Amino acid sequence: MTNRQDQPSTSGITRRDVLKASGVGLMLGISSLFLPRGYLRLPQQAQTFVSNVDHYQREIAEILMRGMTELGISRQELRGKRILLKPNLVETASGAPHINTHPLVLRGAIEAFLRMGAATVMVAEGPGHRRDTLAVYEESGLADVLTEDGITFHDLNYITGYELPNTGGQTTMKTLTFPGLFQEVDWIVSMAKMKTHHWTGATLSMKNLFGVMPGMYYGWPKNVLHKMGIQNSILDINATLKPHFAIVDGIIGMEGDGPIMGSPKQVGVLVMGRNLPAVDATCCRIMGIDPYKVSYLERADNWLGPIREGAIEQRGETIASVQTNFELIDTIPAQQGIRLG
Amino acid sequence: MGFSSLRTLGSAALLRRALPGGGFSSRPNGQFQVDSTAWGILAVKAIGGSEDLLDRSQRVVMREQRQDGRLCMSNSHPDSYWPTPLAILAWHDSQPCRDAQQRALRFLLNTTGVHFPRESDAPSAHDSLLKGWPWVGGTHSWVEPTALCIMALRSAGHGQHERVQEAVRMLLNRQLPHGGWNYGNTFVFGKELHPMPESTGAALAGLAGSVDRDAVLPSLHYLQSEATRLQTPISLGWSLIGLACWDLWPLTGSALVERCLANQSRYGDYDTTALSLLYLGALSGDKAARTPFQIVARQPTVAIE
Repeated sequence: MTNRQDQPSTSGITRRDVLKASGVGLMLGISSLFLPRGYLRLPQQAQTFVSNVDHYQREIAEILMRGMTELGISRQELRGKRILLKPNLVETASGAPHINTHPLVLRGAIEAFLRMGAATVMVAEGPGHRRDTLAVYEESGLADVLTEDGITFHDLNYITGYELPNTGGQTTMKTLTFPGLFQEVDWIVSMAKMKTHHWTGATLSMKNLFGVMPGMYYGWPKNVLHKMGIQNSILDINATLKPHFAIVDGIIGMEGDGPIMGSPKQVGVLVMGRNLPAVDATCCRIMGIDPYKVSYLERADNWLGPIREGAIEQRGETIASVQTNFELIDTIPAQQGIRLG
Repeated sequence: MGFSSLRTLGSAALLRRALPGGGFSSRPNGQFQVDSTAWGILAVKAIGGSEDLLDRSQRVVMREQRQDGRLCMSNSHPDSYWPTPLAILAWHDSQPCRDAQQRALRFLLNTTGVHFPRESDAPSAHDSLLKGWPWVGGTHSWVEPTALCIMALRSAGHGQHERVQEAVRMLLNRQLPHGGWNYGNTFVFGKELHPMPESTGAALAGLAGSVDRDAVLPSLHYLQSEATRLQTPISLGWSLIGLACWDLWPLTGSALVERCLANQSRYGDYDTTALSLLYLGALSGDKAARTPFQIVARQPTVAIE
């Protein structure tokens, strides 16, 4: 898997710039010995794209391609890349398609990445609640779509893993074990659902990556990560994996007692971007949630990405034009006091 | 499709995952995996397959056992010991594996999930003090590993052990009021969660022979109504096993298995665990079959050595 830091820089950096930066870096390094972590970090910037999509029958591939282009992703950048799309498939229930990322959003993303020059696109998920991943794949409607499109689906819960040092350092886990399949792809794309969550306030592209951790090592419902602290684990997984892109299905989201028992919420948006904390912060604002009140986002701020509104360049629709308050439940501690003020 | 045809098909499919030195891989041409091997042994036993293959595979599983008796999914995840009850079932009636099985039994009896008193304002409704077994050490006890441990301990004659009795109470406590089980939560923030066929089948198999039918009646009704729509091997396999343990294997069972096998054209080849579960579910409808779940009820109670 390649990450963004591996890509060649296109900016014209001179030797003098490098020397100046080295000097500043040395001074900052020494100073930081006496200051709290992150005190001297330069403010981060990111871009997100919000598109109005009122229902799932729209030309989602076209919309995603426009979004990626607006975000500076070129065909050249994607040419020949192997793309892994990670949807949010948790469990299924009759009359509750809003639990999972909609299959037609996956279809749109597959088409968009292939038309943008990707060599291959695959879909992979390791559901947290169900041992029978194929059942969620089938009952969510995704099997129909991927079978028709000739796209491979992988069950991440049972793929033998490889270890990476835990670069997040928020839990006591020294290493994280990811599915070996990730060593064979270039881009990992988190394709989340826009939902409230009864343990974390909101579940979006960062929390969605719980599903990449193989159940055969982390259990069902990924209980090792719960024990380590959900917020801590979210940060460690994102810091270590360094996902490349996020697309959040907010066409119909979930409000109230998410991520399973909540009610459908028509929002009519797709939100995307390269930086996951920025994408999630934008989603929160759309949902009427203050991202600074969502613990893992507040802690990710200016480390894994920016969540300050002024630091996120908004492309496409404005937040104000699509904002709609998601129901929050007073009796759920993670949802108390997180309403955008 | 009759049981004889299922045996022939199952035998051929499992042999494609059998490794020359013994054991099974998760997929054809793959590498040894302990859970796949244990499930493969159980299925080959039920099918009536090669004794030599069984013997070699049981010995390979023994080589994977740690000193304290556990079997885990990887050396770097020693707490992922959920294959231990599977190994106990896979070693059943094997004299060369007897010591290994005893060590594994002792490990289970000395191991539990993390348990704690339920506070009055806790979001989850179940009794969090009742002990069962976890998927991974250091975490809470959940339904499927607990059901497997009950079956493993009962298969070795420890059905009356207090840990088994408590685990039975734990499973009953995790049963959903409207029937069925999921991974192991009943209510969260006041809402009853959804049941899942694979968890329900495993729990019903784990409880068979230990509790009265009335105690699980809503779950039997739930699973009977679900089974006919199931398309995938883990859900269908566990459902058929669970129903068979209560003499409710459906009349359409063979047709359901046939449809599920055909679905490999849609999903790709099933992994060894899924395939084994499906054949075990299929053959649990045959009274003459030797599935571990039928064996469990016949074992006398003996003390741990």
